[in-house]
Amino acid sequence: MYRIYPFVILFLTTALLQVFLFDNLSVSIYLDPLVYVAFVLLLPLDIRPVTLLGAGLAMGLAMDFAMGTAGLNTVPTLLIAFVRPYLVAGLYSRDDAREGGIPSPERLGRAVFAKYVVAAVAIHHTVFFALESLSASLLLHTALRIVASGAVTVACVRLIVSVFTAKRSVRV
Amino acid sequence: MRKLFEFIRSVYVVVLFVALEAIALNYYARSSHYTQARLLVRSAEIAGGVHGFFAGVRRYFTLGRENRMLAGRVAELEERLAAYGVAETAARLATYLDDPKARTYRMMAATVISSSVNRTQNQIILDRGRLDGVVERMAVLSLDGAMVGYVVDCTDRYSVAIPVLNTAYRASGRIAESDYIGSVYWDGADQHVALLGDVSKYADPQPGQRVVTTGFSQFFPPDVPIGTVESAELNETQTAYTVRVRLAAEIATMTEVLLVENRDRAEIESLRQSEKLKPNNSPE
Repeated sequence: MYRIYPFVILFLTTALLQVFLFDNLSVSIYLDPLVYVAFVLLLPLDIRPVTLLGAGLAMGLAMDFAMGTAGLNTVPTLLIAFVRPYLVAGLYSRDDAREGGIPSPERLGRAVFAKYVVAAVAIHHTVFFALESLSASLLLHTALRIVASGAVTVACVRLIVSVFTAKRSVRV
Repeated sequence: MRKLFEFIRSVYVVVLFVALEAIALNYYARSSHYTQARLLVRSAEIAGGVHGFFAGVRRYFTLGRENRMLAGRVAELEERLAAYGVAETAARLATYLDDPKARTYRMMAATVISSSVNRTQNQIILDRGRLDGVVERMAVLSLDGAMVGYVVDCTDRYSVAIPVLNTAYRASGRIAESDYIGSVYWDGADQHVALLGDVSKYADPQPGQRVVTTGFSQFFPPDVPIGTVESAELNETQTAYTVRVRLAAEIATMTEVLLVENRDRAEIESLRQSEKLKPNNSPE
């Protein structure tokens, strides 16, 4: 059984980082990292799918409210919350996935964790930016936004996971 | 019956996911820039204080530049004022300034507390709201008087504007020193460049020409600078130019803006809605 409050803190931290830091970056149209996905990605491995979906919904709604985007964040966040169990099952073949633990390089192995984050962020950002632009004429432009913003998001998730799992006993 | 329950139990996550996703997609598909502004202005009521704090920190670093720009603007206005040097004119001007009814445009300053340029539907949150006299459809100009956007929604203390860097934005623009007009919009590609579409094929726009607002706009005073022509190309049917306009306002780094209300707008609007204009009301 996990104590819930570290995850409440994780929710608040990633949401606040997104709203007050990353949403105000305003550097370039190509740079819009959506680091709040870290919350969905770092929930325990043995979480029930329906709880995961609920967590994704809560984060998506919170971000839509804060950014004024009316559903644009909820759609991709629900999607990664839904596919996460399948993603983990596909990438991590060992049986101990059900025993829980926070997905991290130590828990899953560096390569598997990297694939896991990149795949999830790619799905999330592709849906987000495709929905946002909704235009085939700017295909290359949208692809570039997905890649650039996605790369920054992956780096941030890596940073967040190392902070979040620091000083915690990792269950292997 | 038990089997049905078991089946539902085995797939209820999928069903829940599909249902939630459908609702979210539907809500997004039905949303417009107006619903988005509504959401954002509500969230600004909660998070506005923190946004304001960070905006204050950011502002601190641009104070020097802002000051230089303001000083330049003051000098320019002083110079213009000096042209009215004759005492009588000055006296008449003073009575104009005393009588708010005589002024068509009402101006006020506002601070940007949050803005983005990295979306296709960018929005700006301002720290002035209804209590400060902000109303919907006020024009938003940069401190040096260039076009930025217009106010879409406001609460008592905050307002949300959409800048030209929003794909839902529409305004009319004119190539300066000519009568060729077109519609200003953004394609979501470059934060420094907007497009002026449907410009007559006879206009022959040249790089460096200024683009300004027209007097027809319900938001902007006439001749507000929008930017300069960067390049222009004829559309496929060779009937109209689409002009790339380098924006005069630096929207990404803006910390203060001017809000402009057209006092005559309500009057014009009510005339437009007039019963007498309706076709079935025409005199026999």
